[in-house]
Amino acid sequence: MASSQTPKEIGEIDFGLMDPEEYRDMSATKIITADTYDDDGFPIDMGLMDPRLGVIDPGLECKTCGQHSGSCNGHFGHIELAAPVIHVGFTKLIRRLLRGTCRECARLCLTEDERDEFRGQLDQTRKLGRDLNDVTKAAIRQARKKDRCPFCGEGQFDIQHEKPTTYYEVQQVLTSEYSQRIAAAMQPDDDDDEPMGREALANETGIELSRVNQILSGEFRPRESDRKALEKALDIDLTEEDMNKLMPSDIRDWFEDIPDEDIEVLGISADKSRPEWMILTVLPVPPVTARPSITLDNGQRSEDDLTHKLVDIIRINQRFMENREAGAPQLIIEDLWELLQYHVTTFMDNEISGTPPARHRSGRPLKTLSQRLKGKEGRFRGSLSGKRVNFSARTVISPDPTLSLNEVGVPDRVATEMTQTMNVTERNLEDARRYVSNGPEGHPGANYVRRPDGRRLKVTEKNCEELAEKVEAGWEVNRHLIDGDIVVFNRQPSLHRMSIMAHEVVVMPYKTFRLNTVVCPPYNADFDGDEMNMHALQNEEARAEARVLMRVQEQILSPRMGENIIGAIQDHISGTYLLTHDNPHFNETQALDLLRATRIDELPEEAGTEDGRPYWTGRQLFSELLPDDLNLEFQSNTGDTVVIEDGQLLEGTIDEDGVGAFGGEVVDTLAKVYGETRARIFINEVATLAMRSIMHFGFSIGIDDETIPGAAQDRIDETIGDAYDRVQELIETYEAGELESLPGRTVDETLEMKIMQTLGKARDNAGDIAEEHFEDDNPAVVMANSGARGSMLNLTQMAGCVGQQAVRGTRINRGYEDRTLSHYKPDDLSAEAHGFVEHSYTGGLTPREFFFHAMGGREGLVDTAVRTSKSGYLQRRLINALSELETQYDGTVRDTSDTIVQFEFGEDGTSPTKVAYDDDHGIDVDQIADRVLEAEFESDDSKAEFLGDKARPTNLSEHGEARRNPDILSEVESDD
Amino acid sequence: MVDVSQHELVPEHVVLDEDELQDVLDEYDIDRTDLPKIKRTDPALPDEAEMGNVVKIIRESRTTDTAVVYRLVVD
Repeated sequence: MASSQTPKEIGEIDFGLMDPEEYRDMSATKIITADTYDDDGFPIDMGLMDPRLGVIDPGLECKTCGQHSGSCNGHFGHIELAAPVIHVGFTKLIRRLLRGTCRECARLCLTEDERDEFRGQLDQTRKLGRDLNDVTKAAIRQARKKDRCPFCGEGQFDIQHEKPTTYYEVQQVLTSEYSQRIAAAMQPDDDDDEPMGREALANETGIELSRVNQILSGEFRPRESDRKALEKALDIDLTEEDMNKLMPSDIRDWFEDIPDEDIEVLGISADKSRPEWMILTVLPVPPVTARPSITLDNGQRSEDDLTHKLVDIIRINQRFMENREAGAPQLIIEDLWELLQYHVTTFMDNEISGTPPARHRSGRPLKTLSQRLKGKEGRFRGSLSGKRVNFSARTVISPDPTLSLNEVGVPDRVATEMTQTMNVTERNLEDARRYVSNGPEGHPGANYVRRPDGRRLKVTEKNCEELAEKVEAGWEVNRHLIDGDIVVFNRQPSLHRMSIMAHEVVVMPYKTFRLNTVVCPPYNADFDGDEMNMHALQNEEARAEARVLMRVQEQILSPRMGENIIGAIQDHISGTYLLTHDNPHFNETQALDLLRATRIDELPEEAGTEDGRPYWTGRQLFSELLPDDLNLEFQSNTGDTVVIEDGQLLEGTIDEDGVGAFGGEVVDTLAKVYGETRARIFINEVATLAMRSIMHFGFSIGIDDETIPGAAQDRIDETIGDAYDRVQELIETYEAGELESLPGRTVDETLEMKIMQTLGKARDNAGDIAEEHFEDDNPAVVMANSGARGSMLNLTQMAGCVGQQAVRGTRINRGYEDRTLSHYKPDDLSAEAHGFVEHSYTGGLTPREFFFHAMGGREGLVDTAVRTSKSGYLQRRLINALSELETQYDGTVRDTSDTIVQFEFGEDGTSPTKVAYDDDHGIDVDQIADRVLEAEFESDDSKAEFLGDKARPTNLSEHGEARRNPDILSEVESDD
Repeated sequence: MVDVSQHELVPEHVVLDEDELQDVLDEYDIDRTDLPKIKRTDPALPDEAEMGNVVKIIRESRTTDTAVVYRLVVD
């Protein structure tokens, strides 16, 4: 413990049991008193707060190591237990060893051959990296089958384990009512038969008649051989089960006799873990640093749960010793022993089933050792895998379309709180001084400086001017975040790697983080109150890594599908649709206004003139954002073919399939062919262009947009009426017993299916009728066609008919007996009685329809709630299972034991984001190769050289060639 | 009984001889126990495959035409 501060590399870790001697060796003191502090508030020597166990009060010196609190980790003490107790963590292993070893000679009940076999199996499984438990369990099972020990021949008994820590040996012993049983057996089954005489019994068993008489009168207990003979002769059972409790001391003695080589067969290494060490004789007392006491406001001391538990243990331990010395009766001793066992058990684990948890005076269960480690808030998941961090901020997010997708708006009050360390040199000295002189409150200011001697000074409003002059090269300045700094930004739940991306800071007023709306899809963020976290990076390496690997633009392509996940969404898509669908005309002012937030500051050649004034078309303006050599052809979401030639959009509508997130063709191609920087520029510009266009045209939606003329409403009513009639017909055929069932279904199911079908068709027809009356420029239609938001189904439900409501995939069948609501007759199979909503949302639902609709709606809500929790847990398990897999430099995927999982990452060694695949067209590799070569080499010469068309000039010796190519050499030789 | 090894969806399984195996182990710098495993009872295995053998599985792949995987036969 002396040099506990020195970092060391861990070579390997061995897990095993601990020798009680080792507990004593490492103990700083023996603990004998249950008291903690004396009346003056000083810790009692050899008490639970003994100063040799470490220091918690700052300023004091540790009595064992001499260090101060903070640098002293504390030291273990120990309690000598009055009697051995079982360690709860090993109850299963103890049971196994008891069952597998001889009760007399303590050897493992396996013959040499069997041992060899299990040893071999152990080696094998160890090599294969499988679970050793399977083999050891099999070995115990085999050993348990033996009635007699193969070494000493002693008969073996069954071991019963009563949870958590009691073991019984189940023996078959002579029942106390043996004489009655024998007498009963001698009586004949039938009254007619003669009873068996005593002489006959004596003859058959070979026991003397006088002995038989003695046995029958109960004066003599038959010996084992006699018992067997009697049992055989009379075909009865003279035994009863006797539960003989094994005390921990018995078990300890038993385990001490198990030879080392026998436990090796069970996969236990004897020099590290002797089985008797599972029975505790010494209890280590954790250092005070692991169970600090707190001084309350009123000056009272409040002890840690562990200390409370240790107090209990010591008290019982002392009482046990006193009673034993006083020669108390066995019963009392056993009670105390059990109590000691209970306290030691709950000291280690207070959540054992079958044992009442130890409670605090207030009734709260104590948090003991195992509870500190287990679960979400436990040491592993709560303190080691995840902890609270410095340099992080969290606030509400809101949209800002003027930011680049790489940027994040950071509130000034966050920027002044979070700092970046700046190493002052001659070159940035002026900046550093300016930051310091601005103080901690002025924006590009500084909070701390560190002098070359390591002293850290806080920059205050008072000393900032003065301090700024002192700053020299070699100092460190903790300056505020400024525009252009890189930070990591995250929204929970972090379900994929795009949930954490690096952004560049733009310091802004007000209190929210600002995002460009195009990064909503990867974060799955919206602005209805979502909060996000920001982390300021604290060293140059992290900043460089974040900038190169984590920046938003590097994440445009998603590894899930290999297509872009960042792109236009919602209004952007409506905007590009309006701009390109009907290819509208714009005059110069309008055209320039649309493009004003892009890099384009000069309009292309006008498309033509109208009324003597030049005009530009929407597609022309959109084309300005494309690279000049882009050629593409694809189907749009709207249904037309988009043709882009030489960077000009000639035909088609730009909509979700063109520029949308999740596989917008243009964005995807730009990211893959022209690089992520070009794609970032394009997405930013498309977003602004789209916002400008949608504002130019105006885009709003009202109730009139979903209302259809009365005539159309009448037609819808008619179709639904027809459907009702058809349903009625179906029901009548069904009731007449004439409905033919579909293959594999009952008649009832057939009827349900047919009704559902009919009603589904009715809703679709209603939708079709409604659709006829919507103009193409209807905003809801524009959104549905372009893929911006909503679908034609939503429109159908708003204008036509909401349709059948379902719970668990069927029409609504629940509620009262044989009917859904008391408004209907029992066994009414009609559409309206089972949740068909014939009205539209705009028309309004009847109360009954509304009720059915709420039933269907609730199922949706419950489903999502259940799904998120289920999938969250699934995700956790999946991540834990896969977290140790790693792609090696040789391309293989291996786990931590170097076992190969995949011979080539993904079996093809490719990253989905770097690969393009197209079933219809295939990839024109030659064209790509030509383009790359064209861009790479300046002159034809160097290109030819690279391709090997032209030999590279060489200064190697002439013999060099021959040495590298033995063929030439042999030719020369053969010439001789 | 259906012989699944003849099914079009079951890739080719070949038992490696010792030389080939050594090459594989050298290539990846591993012991044979570090290979992925396959059960002796797996119906796709050829009859001559025994415990401790290594089979080479040649799969068709959409992206790389063929993907080769080695597996150690275990019980």
